Amino acid sequence: MQELIGALSLASIYVLFALGMSLTWGTIDILNFAHGSIFMFSSFTAYLLLQRAPLPFLVMVLIGIVVGALLSLLIQVLAFEQILKRAKDKRSAEMQILIGGIGIAIVPLSIAQYYTKSTPFGFEGSPFEVTKLTFGNYWITNVQLMTIVLAAVLGVATSLWLRRSRQGLALRAIGVDSEVASIMGVDRRRLALGAMAVSGALAGLAGILLTYSLGAITPESGDTLLVKAFAAIILGGVGSTAGVYAGSFLLAAAETVVLTQTNGLWVDAVSFGLIFLVLLVRPSGLFGRKEVRRT
Amino acid sequence: MSDFLDANAVLVQATFIGLVLALSVQVPLRMGVFSFAGAGSYGIGAYLAGIVTLRYETPGLLSVLIAAAVAAVVGLLLGLVIARLAGLYLAMATVAFDLIISVIAINGGDLTGGPTGLYGVITDFGTLQLIGVSIAVLVLVALSEVGRTRRRVDAVRDDPELAASVGISVRRYRLVAFAASGALGGAAGAMNILIRSTVTPMDIGFGLIVLALTMIIVGGARSWKGAVLGALIFTWLPEVLNAVGEWQPLIYGLIVALAAIFLPRGIHGLFVDAQRALQRRRRRAATSEVASVGDDDAPDTDSEVIETLKESSEVEATK
Repeated sequence: MQELIGALSLASIYVLFALGMSLTWGTIDILNFAHGSIFMFSSFTAYLLLQRAPLPFLVMVLIGIVVGALLSLLIQVLAFEQILKRAKDKRSAEMQILIGGIGIAIVPLSIAQYYTKSTPFGFEGSPFEVTKLTFGNYWITNVQLMTIVLAAVLGVATSLWLRRSRQGLALRAIGVDSEVASIMGVDRRRLALGAMAVSGALAGLAGILLTYSLGAITPESGDTLLVKAFAAIILGGVGSTAGVYAGSFLLAAAETVVLTQTNGLWVDAVSFGLIFLVLLVRPSGLFGRKEVRRT
Repeated sequence: MSDFLDANAVLVQATFIGLVLALSVQVPLRMGVFSFAGAGSYGIGAYLAGIVTLRYETPGLLSVLIAAAVAAVVGLLLGLVIARLAGLYLAMATVAFDLIISVIAINGGDLTGGPTGLYGVITDFGTLQLIGVSIAVLVLVALSEVGRTRRRVDAVRDDPELAASVGISVRRYRLVAFAASGALGGAAGAMNILIRSTVTPMDIGFGLIVLALTMIIVGGARSWKGAVLGALIFTWLPEVLNAVGEWQPLIYGLIVALAAIFLPRGIHGLFVDAQRALQRRRRRAATSEVASVGDDDAPDTDSEVIETLKESSEVEATK
């Protein structure tokens, strides 16, 4: 039971992180490899500002969200839009975006590594206290509880936004066929910017929450999370919000089992093994729609 | 020459190993297979060569051959399993493969030395053998870039449906790409451990993918010349960049991002474009002097055909 709570809060971090990636990958076809760096750098910026003033929890969360959204927009405007403008076809654009993302991801990472000397950083000066709430034999920290609630609320909100609103419809239309969508009057550029901003904001939020929850994170933690989010998204199916939940919970549960039953060294193999297994058995994921491509 | 080799032995060795590693990622890319499995094969090759050398004291060249052969078979098996996946999914599956290899290396117990890795792998394999093997490999790869093979590879990459319709077995080419990538990666890893005498799980991680990609993207993804350029630049650049010290990774990241945005075909692509522009100008000069088509180099890609067609119509229009 206590393990279940741990797995649930781990899964919620995966959800917050993977939701943004899945959103941009599933709709505007951008697999943002710098997502992990955005996550880390939002938390790092909040950490730097915390050195100046003892900021309350809510302000820290806001800083994370704003920095994440801004970074994501910056990358979209400076890199991905330029690539899409110049690329000659969709396949080479996909590849250039992936490689460009790998390059960009190194920049915030090395800045953070330079200032922290690659040691973990945390929010020590914050007036906010992480407290344990006990009920019976079990406990949960207030940050964990918040993470779980936020992941649930934001996930449902994203899903509703995509399904019910006109903007969501337009975004999904881009995901199905971007050219037809723009003929129908969908402003691709504006929506892409919006999707990237939301995605970055979610990453920033996850960064702040995870840093509070763990006490400290390393500059490299974004990269680890990136691979895990891939696993969760592929498990669930690209572009499906329900899939992100299912994938994140499955992954977190599998990792918790391996962590508690073995000496823990194999934990990292779980996500990679799962990616492999799912790609073989069901390439479109548990909830993914089958991709129809005409050539 | 030998003075130069002695003075810069480490860098020369790193250049050739980097080159073979870069080729292992480039060969599948040229066939339209977005595979990073070369980095995993590098890990397999490094550990395998270390293990056979430590346990059976095999001579250096034999270890490299064994490593390349086994990595090729593993690569082929991987290819059989994932060849039907498309684009990014295939890329992610190969990244997963690479990371599984490093997790196995960490958990391999006595066989792989766990987190500390293997050390004390000393053989007769020296810089000259390294250069010999690398050049042999380079020639083999370069041979796939001329004549019929080149046109077929181009077709498999740019238009698989068209290739299949004219009787090229796209699947077979892709599987060959996986096997070749495995062999190249395996050879690079094996040569690295035989030269450096150690390998740790840290050496075969995600950083290798970034390094190989950097070399290819900046150098040029379409030709072995691009891989050579990339390997040269990124082995010798750190020496030049000593001044920036700790900011070196940042500069690398920026270079990769800028190359991906502005120079998707790399420095080699620039040369090719310049050469074409020059040819075009010469042709135009030739056609205006003698109004006959006198160029002997046959156009062999779509864009060239289109360009030639455009030019000939321009010529007709001016007549």
